[in-house]
Amino acid sequence: MSGASARSLAKGSAPPGPVPEGLIRVYSMRFCPFAQRTLLVLKAKGIRHEIININLKNKPEWFFKKNPFGLVPVLENSQGQLIYESAITCEYLDEAYPGKKLLPDDPYEKACQKMVFELFSKVLTNKKTTFFGGSSLSMTDYLIWPWFERLEILELNDCVDHTPKLKLWMAAMRQDPAVSALLTDPKALRGFFNLYLQNSPEACDYGL
Amino acid sequence: MRFCPYAHRTRLVLRAKGIRHEVININLRNKPEWYYTKHPFGQIPVLENSKCQLIYESVIACEYLDDAYPGRKLYPYDPYERARQKMLLELFYKVPHLTKECLVALRCGRECADLKLALRQEFCNLEEILGYQNTIFFGGDCISMIDYLFWPWFERLDVYGIADCLNHTPALRLWTAAMKQDPTVCALLIDKNIFLGFLNLYFQNNPDAFDYGLTC
Repeated sequence: MSGASARSLAKGSAPPGPVPEGLIRVYSMRFCPFAQRTLLVLKAKGIRHEIININLKNKPEWFFKKNPFGLVPVLENSQGQLIYESAITCEYLDEAYPGKKLLPDDPYEKACQKMVFELFSKVLTNKKTTFFGGSSLSMTDYLIWPWFERLEILELNDCVDHTPKLKLWMAAMRQDPAVSALLTDPKALRGFFNLYLQNSPEACDYGL
Repeated sequence: MRFCPYAHRTRLVLRAKGIRHEVININLRNKPEWYYTKHPFGQIPVLENSKCQLIYESVIACEYLDDAYPGRKLYPYDPYERARQKMLLELFYKVPHLTKECLVALRCGRECADLKLALRQEFCNLEEILGYQNTIFFGGDCISMIDYLFWPWFERLDVYGIADCLNHTPALRLWTAAMKQDPTVCALLIDKNIFLGFLNLYFQNNPDAFDYGLTC
């Protein structure tokens, strides 16, 4: 989708114009796990979107009009409506767009997924099913995935050594089309983190 | 528990939607062992239905009730308006902690000017929202879910001794007045003297605090 590999917009950049009809815009950052949640849902539901990357170390002034907290992800539609907070953006997309529902329709099943999202690390040891939402992949799995992807890349695998179920889950996740389409390149992520820890404004554009 | 603000949210929604329910109060200082089979950490509120399905986390429980039961919908139908209410809830997240810290500080005879300042700042943020929207309630001109989710902490400002934190937020004061007119809020208003009696016993670590005011 357009914009995924574009340089981030920083302070002094011109604010982008309105979002064209038929498209939804996501303000993102290539290495942000919260933004990746939204991208996963956009991909999984096949929603036409454009991406504007934001330099989180040198934010454009206009970006605070999109989200007073100045964080990504933020959704903007052609009506100028803005939605932020990653879990809220994901739920909004599931409700507003047709096609495969990632959250269940049944009120109790939906509540269960939300409870799992709240307590996922505690629930994991008792979990009997392959995915967090049940026997097939759904919303909760996408919300959690970005952190586990980073565990492997940053060589923090030891965290999952004691939880074979989690290892199995990670393998199953890599089979998912949306997840595999958006896999973060390990070298790029490590390069980003190096620059990020040095507070470099170039960090967000590493590899471009 | 009769005085818990999180459980209060759920009771407001049950009442607002006219859902038949029974209440079991839990002694939070001396929890029954079986209660941990209802919630892994023994927290309230928890909903349990006749299918033995359990739902916890006050916001999740409130949304479940709105989804599962017919009649008046408390969340809007429009996905964007629903998302707006959830974003508003994010703006509120510091309020419960700050009000509790003020209460504890005052009850322990400590200064809490900094805490009150921080709370006033949070109220200013909410005031800005009401000003920008130019509506009485947070969801529009009628009361809706977000108002019920905020309410329990505002009801407690007076009995906690921090009602003056609303001094510089007129729209928020108008909102609290309008909330007190709502039949649901009204029906569940906690008597101030009973609440004070509870707080007195609670801060003396009296395990009977939770049942203060009950005659049987």
